[in-house]
Amino acid sequence: MSDKRFVNERAVGSSVLPDEAIPLVEGFGRFLNDIQLPGMYHVAFLRSQHAHARLRSVDASKARELPGVVKALTGKELFGRVEPFRSMPNRFSGGESVQHWLAVDKVRFCGEAICAVVAEDRATAEDACELIEVDYEPLPVVSDPRDGERDEAPLVHDSCPNNYLIKREYERGNVAEAFDKANLVVKRKFRIGRKQALCLEARGCVAAYRESTFVLTVWMSHQLPYVVRHYLAKHIGMHENDVRVIVPHTGGGFGQKASVYPEEFVCAYLALELRRPVKWVEDRLENMVASTHARDQYIELQAAVDKDGHLLALSSDVWVDVGAYSTYLWSAGMEPLQTAGLMPGPYKVPALRYRTRGVATNKTPVGPYRAVGRPSASASLELLLDEAARRLKIDPVELRLRNLIPNEAMPFRNANNLVHDNVNYVPCLKLSTTKGEYARLREEQRQALADGKLRGIGVACFAELTGLGTTTAVGPGTLLQPGRDAVTLRLETSGVLTVAAALPSQGQRIMTAMRQVAADELGINLEDIICLTSDTATAPYGFGTFASRTAVFGSGAVIKAAKELRQRILALGAFLLGVALEEVTVANSAVHTLDRSKSVSLREMAEKSYFSAKDIPEELNPGFEVTSFYDPKRGSFAAGAHLVVVDVDPQTGDVKIIRYVAAEDVGTIINPAVVEGQIIGGIAQGIGEALLEEIVYDDAGQPRTVTLADYLVPSALDIPRIELHHANTPSAALGGFKGCGEGSIIGALGAVTCAVADALSRRGGDIHEFPATPERVLRGLGVLPGGA
Amino acid sequence: MAREQRIKVTVNGRTYDKVVPVRLSLADFIREHLYLTGTHLGCEHGVCGACTVSLNGRSARSCLTLAVQADGAEIVTIEGLRDRDGKRHPMQQAFHEKFALQCGYCTPGMLITAIELLQEKPDPTEQDVREALSGNICRCSGYQAIVEAVLAVARKEFV
Repeated sequence: MSDKRFVNERAVGSSVLPDEAIPLVEGFGRFLNDIQLPGMYHVAFLRSQHAHARLRSVDASKARELPGVVKALTGKELFGRVEPFRSMPNRFSGGESVQHWLAVDKVRFCGEAICAVVAEDRATAEDACELIEVDYEPLPVVSDPRDGERDEAPLVHDSCPNNYLIKREYERGNVAEAFDKANLVVKRKFRIGRKQALCLEARGCVAAYRESTFVLTVWMSHQLPYVVRHYLAKHIGMHENDVRVIVPHTGGGFGQKASVYPEEFVCAYLALELRRPVKWVEDRLENMVASTHARDQYIELQAAVDKDGHLLALSSDVWVDVGAYSTYLWSAGMEPLQTAGLMPGPYKVPALRYRTRGVATNKTPVGPYRAVGRPSASASLELLLDEAARRLKIDPVELRLRNLIPNEAMPFRNANNLVHDNVNYVPCLKLSTTKGEYARLREEQRQALADGKLRGIGVACFAELTGLGTTTAVGPGTLLQPGRDAVTLRLETSGVLTVAAALPSQGQRIMTAMRQVAADELGINLEDIICLTSDTATAPYGFGTFASRTAVFGSGAVIKAAKELRQRILALGAFLLGVALEEVTVANSAVHTLDRSKSVSLREMAEKSYFSAKDIPEELNPGFEVTSFYDPKRGSFAAGAHLVVVDVDPQTGDVKIIRYVAAEDVGTIINPAVVEGQIIGGIAQGIGEALLEEIVYDDAGQPRTVTLADYLVPSALDIPRIELHHANTPSAALGGFKGCGEGSIIGALGAVTCAVADALSRRGGDIHEFPATPERVLRGLGVLPGGA
Repeated sequence: MAREQRIKVTVNGRTYDKVVPVRLSLADFIREHLYLTGTHLGCEHGVCGACTVSLNGRSARSCLTLAVQADGAEIVTIEGLRDRDGKRHPMQQAFHEKFALQCGYCTPGMLITAIELLQEKPDPTEQDVREALSGNICRCSGYQAIVEAVLAVARKEFV
């Protein structure tokens, strides 16, 4: 096959070409919408046009009369038949939100599903939705989290006083004393707008009754097949063993496909009731309002700093507009708790205080999106560090070097109680500034400014906790604590190794990565290894793909299982070759004597093991199948430092990135080309977050950016060539791996926002609200009224 | 107005004679009537470019084109890019070897657009490539590997 390019002695560390990409490049991928089953019906949802309203009545009788319509299901009819989504218990809950799969008495955001129509084709189902008559009684709308927490604000949920879905106050170290004795106190406000993961493939599902030996089979564009299986069974009142969840090729996830939503569960209910397959594919306009949003934060932070620029304490207030419901499974705590709690990032912070809230509003719920919470935590602190550097007349890079956790101080427990170890913060910053020739860039900036150009330079350092084991929370405060995943290794009678795990890919090439690790651990050729990662019927238990965990868990479990399988292979090989166990090794898909005089192929061994078991002593033939669970216990910090140069056009407010240098520590690399793709892709999303992307609502809770002409994601012209360098150090996890999926979006938001603010500061301007749209840049420069 | 109309189109070298609803999009025709699901729908309002096909030699948004508008046309989709022996088009091979796709959802539109670019401008600059691809959204890659793949094909590194 094609596993040829760049292959070193070891597969790990080589840019092995991913066979798994071949169907995609040839046009034979199988995405959710490509599935067609005989007799399949199609589902469309009627969605709320109001942000907040009581439903006086929902009359679907005309819809039901339309030829081709099979069923129109209202919230009242579904009520009592399935379990609604109650917000996941969280230690820091303000109050409980209850989300019905289809709205019953009230709608709480524009786009909330009210009715499901089943028809013979999608167009008819959509036509029928138009015939449903809904009598809305509009209610007062909560559209801003800072207004929403006031005592007099209307309530989104009667069970949530002050609209708090999440609230936490934290203090460690002597914060008051630090601020008292500080030489300098710097303060800033920071605002990041609402985002959308914008997977190019929106959500969707096909649900079928008795399509296989399972009662219910659900194909779903999702990151967590086993978690879906568990909660779907629970909420619909079935045995989990009767449900099979299959994830087809998935057109992006980025966290948006890591939550559980009502629509897919409604489809499963309909398939069971109608005993016919049903399909729902979210169109883009639906996706912009019905799939989780992200970020939407207001931060006020201040730092106590000594005369040399050392941080003494950090204090922050965070408001997150978390939308109408606590996102199911993860709770509303993701953004508010991670932003405030992880604010220190890679810097030594002796004393930390924060108050953070997730305030319910009448908007689409906020859920996980790439690097949850941390981009804004990082960017707000980086902007503050730049301000401290300006005030103290210390170079921003020097100020960061004084505050980064140095390698010699590790293991280092920071004021947010996280332990930093095996991570290269200082080396990353030094590498990016050396490669980027930082001193020369500053000189060029001076020249550019003298020539009348408005140029800014931004530097940001980040820490990203990846591959979280059972002792570290992914969803802070929640009961849901993923941290163990399993891999099954099975040597088939063909001699081909199957690696099975519930770790589906949305493009991260996890199959290729696990094949590379297994090849090295077992001495099996890459072309003799295949992966199954997306079907609960074929994979052992696992949580799935999110939180920069998959390579760490998949590879760790492969290493554990391979240790046992290798012993079994060697033992049988030695027996078949008639030599002692110490005399054999396994390489190139065969067991060899150490002097290579004799060998037996894995194919022959596997055939004998299965088909000729009577000729083999039982103790030497326990079977070529091993399942191992892996729990790295703690997480591993990945790191990076990004250096960005921008030119700002003072006439138009346009920001152009003219240089982008990144240095990252992602631990031991499995496949360099894949890792580069992850990092550069994350940077592109971070640039979009910093400059372009924003979901805008008006005061009545109406979304104003529901097409791709309004919600701007970066094009090939918006992303510069990224210069990427590595300062890797192995983690303590098996194999030394770290996650690399999310860190770069953190560094990108910080570095780009700092570069823009640096440019504006050269003309006495500033900017506090992001994305840095042309309008905001011009306000920041005082060209337009309104301030920054 | 008639709700259905007869059309004759050639897709990937094969001619089809079909009666289709007049409101059917070309994308849905290709995907659901011809079962060529390699063409993807990302926005259905003409912005993302995932549904781009070659229509009479020019790239076209199949989500904004009606099937009846394609009557008499010659269409090439991603499935038609391999040669008769099944060998991948150089652009497909370059996308594969340069790691120019992650989730693969934008890939059909990217390939069609990139191939059209090199037909019109065989020796493009990096800026030319970025401009040509600027109507095709990729959410995964940051575009760098895609741009490199297109430039590598222009340099005849893949044939």
